[in-house]
Amino acid sequence: MKLKTMNKKGADKILTIYWFVILTLIAGGIFAMVYVFYSTPYDVRGIEGEIFAERIADCISRQGIIDQSFFLGKDFDKSMTGEKFTKKCNLNFNVEEGYGDISQIQYFYRVEFYTLKDLTKANYSIYDGNINWESDCAIKKDSKDYTRLAQCTEERLYALNQGGEQYLIRILSVVGKSAKNVKS
Amino acid sequence: MNGKIKKKGTILVENIVFIILNLLFLVVLVLFLIKQGSGAVVLEQTYSKQIAMLVDSAKPGMIIKMDMEKGKELAEGNGIKFNEAVRISDNTVRVKLSAKGGYTYSFFNDVNVAASALQDEKGEYTGMYMFTISGK
Repeated sequence: MKLKTMNKKGADKILTIYWFVILTLIAGGIFAMVYVFYSTPYDVRGIEGEIFAERIADCISRQGIIDQSFFLGKDFDKSMTGEKFTKKCNLNFNVEEGYGDISQIQYFYRVEFYTLKDLTKANYSIYDGNINWESDCAIKKDSKDYTRLAQCTEERLYALNQGGEQYLIRILSVVGKSAKNVKS
Repeated sequence: MNGKIKKKGTILVENIVFIILNLLFLVVLVLFLIKQGSGAVVLEQTYSKQIAMLVDSAKPGMIIKMDMEKGKELAEGNGIKFNEAVRISDNTVRVKLSAKGGYTYSFFNDVNVAASALQDEKGEYTGMYMFTISGK
């Protein structure tokens, strides 16, 4: 009888230790998951890219009419370069420290104007920023390292020139900044 | 009879200790989760990026007010003056809610931004920050 009681107590103790081992494992898992979750930076590049594209769109067209500064008479003004447009739209591509080379620009945009007669070839195009980011846009979303790449946003709008001719405007905005938005 | 009572008592104490330890375990876990979610590192990053996005989408002449109540509590708890928690220079936002911390994020909108912590009639900080956007 005495032996039986001792065995029961022993079994209880083993169960308690086993229970705490299980709890420790579960807690360890939760700690690890929470740590990984909160140490992963918030990725705001998608939103930033959308705002970037919208700002460019606002700068190109007001109330559906393309800004006259793009034209020289009836044709596009070829002297309107990307750099000029960037300055005109009050865009600043300087970034904070933490991206390695401080001179490495983390933004890129390309604006293309298409006439409705030919939507395959851009009539006029301007771009500015770090052109190296543009190639990242061709990589598919389901690829392995997609999140580490620059985030691309494409916006399309229709607008008229002063003569009433309709254009399709395609805006591609790209935001790098992976160091501050993706876990290394 | 006496022996029986003693035996039952021993089991009860063991159970209570076991339950207390389990509860302690859960409390520590919940506290850890809460602390992680409202920690300075997370809030600094959140505020910094939020402010940068607000400035990016703002136009000259706009005044933006932002609720930073949690940030105020955390900054004051860490000995940081709330009116010094947000710094905007050139085109970067720096939010600092702890002595050793700080998080910087840049915005592309080339505008001047003045940041100020709002105070009530008594001169105490309300937990709101005001951002005034003006053209360069």
